Amino acid sequence: MFDVIVKDGLVVDGSGAPGFRGDVAIKDGRIAAVGKVDGEARTVVDAAGRVVAPGFIDPHTHFDVQLLWDGAAKPALEHGITCVVPGNCSLSLAPLKASDRRAVVGMFQQIEEMPPEAFTTAFEWTWEDFAGYRAAIEKNLSINVAPLVGHSVIRLWVMGPASQERAATPEEIAAMQDLLRQCLDAGAVGLSTSFVDLDEHGRPVPSRFAQFEELDALAAVLGEYGRMLQVVPEFYATDITIARIDQLAELSLKHNIPTTFSPLFDTLAVPDNAERAIARVEEQFARGARVWPQMQTRPIDISFSLLRPSLFFARLPRWVRILRQPLEQRLAALRDPETVEKMIADCGPDGGEAMMGRLVARGGDACPADLAGKTLSEIAKARGQVPARALIDLSLENGLDVAFLSASQGHQSTDRIGPMLANPLVHIGASDGGAHLASFSTYGDTGYLFSEFVRKAGAMSLEKAVAKITGETADIWGLKDRGRLRPGLAADVVVFDADTIDRCEEEPAFDMPGDGMRYVRAARGIDTVLVNGEVAYRSGAYTDSRSGVVCV
Amino acid sequence: MTLSRQRRFVTPGPDETVEQLAARALPDEPLESAVDRIKSWNLHVFAMRRPPGLMLGSDVIFVEPPIGHG
Repeated sequence: MFDVIVKDGLVVDGSGAPGFRGDVAIKDGRIAAVGKVDGEARTVVDAAGRVVAPGFIDPHTHFDVQLLWDGAAKPALEHGITCVVPGNCSLSLAPLKASDRRAVVGMFQQIEEMPPEAFTTAFEWTWEDFAGYRAAIEKNLSINVAPLVGHSVIRLWVMGPASQERAATPEEIAAMQDLLRQCLDAGAVGLSTSFVDLDEHGRPVPSRFAQFEELDALAAVLGEYGRMLQVVPEFYATDITIARIDQLAELSLKHNIPTTFSPLFDTLAVPDNAERAIARVEEQFARGARVWPQMQTRPIDISFSLLRPSLFFARLPRWVRILRQPLEQRLAALRDPETVEKMIADCGPDGGEAMMGRLVARGGDACPADLAGKTLSEIAKARGQVPARALIDLSLENGLDVAFLSASQGHQSTDRIGPMLANPLVHIGASDGGAHLASFSTYGDTGYLFSEFVRKAGAMSLEKAVAKITGETADIWGLKDRGRLRPGLAADVVVFDADTIDRCEEEPAFDMPGDGMRYVRAARGIDTVLVNGEVAYRSGAYTDSRSGVVCV
Repeated sequence: MTLSRQRRFVTPGPDETVEQLAARALPDEPLESAVDRIKSWNLHVFAMRRPPGLMLGSDVIFVEPPIGHG
């Protein structure tokens, strides 16, 4: 008697091999048989006319805090994701001394655009070390988690405030190595670091103060375990990205570790950016190094309102300062003529026409219905204003609750991106799941892979697309128990309709702690998701299953 | 496998100043000129960063101008 048989589907096993019609039998959380399966099961999932594939793996997320109150990392799981990698970009929630919590929460707020309530109202801080964090999330998981540990928090633990002031001493580096070993022993899948991020005060995060020798010493520890080094490079500058690729290659070869950098974007503003980076990756792989560029599938769309700071204003420090203020002070600033004149001047001599004119007023929230769908340029002309002033005035007239969409900021050319995603050395990832909550939805990239790059563009086969986000991802990360439908492996399985799988429209949701808002996308075409052999999602609803684990 | 030529770079030493780095990276140049060159080749550190010129241990500092590609 099997526990589950997923019956009569098109089995696409994650290896890239052609799909075949068959069954997948599950017993004790593991795949027991694949093919024509005889026998009975307590649960039968009818997969006729559907694809049966390994659960998808999302290698770049920031679900660190959400997992403390939502063990499904919603809505990731309903998109077929059965394993997430949090702790990217040098930031994790452990190891973290109680006295340093405020500082790291500030970094998460600044870098990943998470509301403070997410860290203060939904859970108890019960841990300081990595094993304690693992215990805190593991009791409630319905999705699998392969967590990275952040270089910045390791540095902060060992050096305190000096972690954002100076190079480490040899003794401090040795202490970081010991701490990293503890984290890896407790289940960390690797180490993440950042070369670009700033904290809430505009100071570089701790990892950026590290000499290369410090990173080399930590990579040596990763080499003892064969685990991953993830970095976020200066992705906006090709020459620096290539320099980072060379550094990662040096570490990969010296310590025999896999490395990955994310994100790698295609942009028409610098048309050879991704092409040159990938060419360098190919050269380094030919030497034996493992440097995996992560590329997301979705175009860059950013939404924002003046209710909170946004990535959109990254190049407008005065706007960021004002939008960070408490609501009353923010409103006062936006009503102050002198301040507003300066804000408008920041947007250029055209009053923000080039910078903001193509913004589109989103429907919903407090946006006047007759303006929804119109560009800010159109709205401004009708009001006899420049766009920056129209943006401020329209927001003030509606309690700041008017959202604007900046669509296709880059990475939007399917014809260019399809072949890159299909490149065997390009790792599909960089979703940022669980982050940038009020700027864009970080969910549904896998559905978009199938709808845009398999069905519409034909950039890769169904089997190749499945392999890219299952078997190949598991291989890259050393997740030996996951990623394929093969007897003996963990039974992470997704059943989906190849003709309809997609992401739905981006919508605001108010399901964060403290009624915080985030943008989400529901899934389309996903029938059933099993995690370690238990049905975690079926026919549009989550089950009570808590079968997720921390996995390495 | 020979790697194609890319821009050469160094990383700053602990507490190293731009003058010390320039002298190290461009030893045959007069110091003032070397510093100017280093700054002009690294606008990501010496122009775009706040505060400008704050060198960090993890920084990539190019020691030559961009090379042609294509």
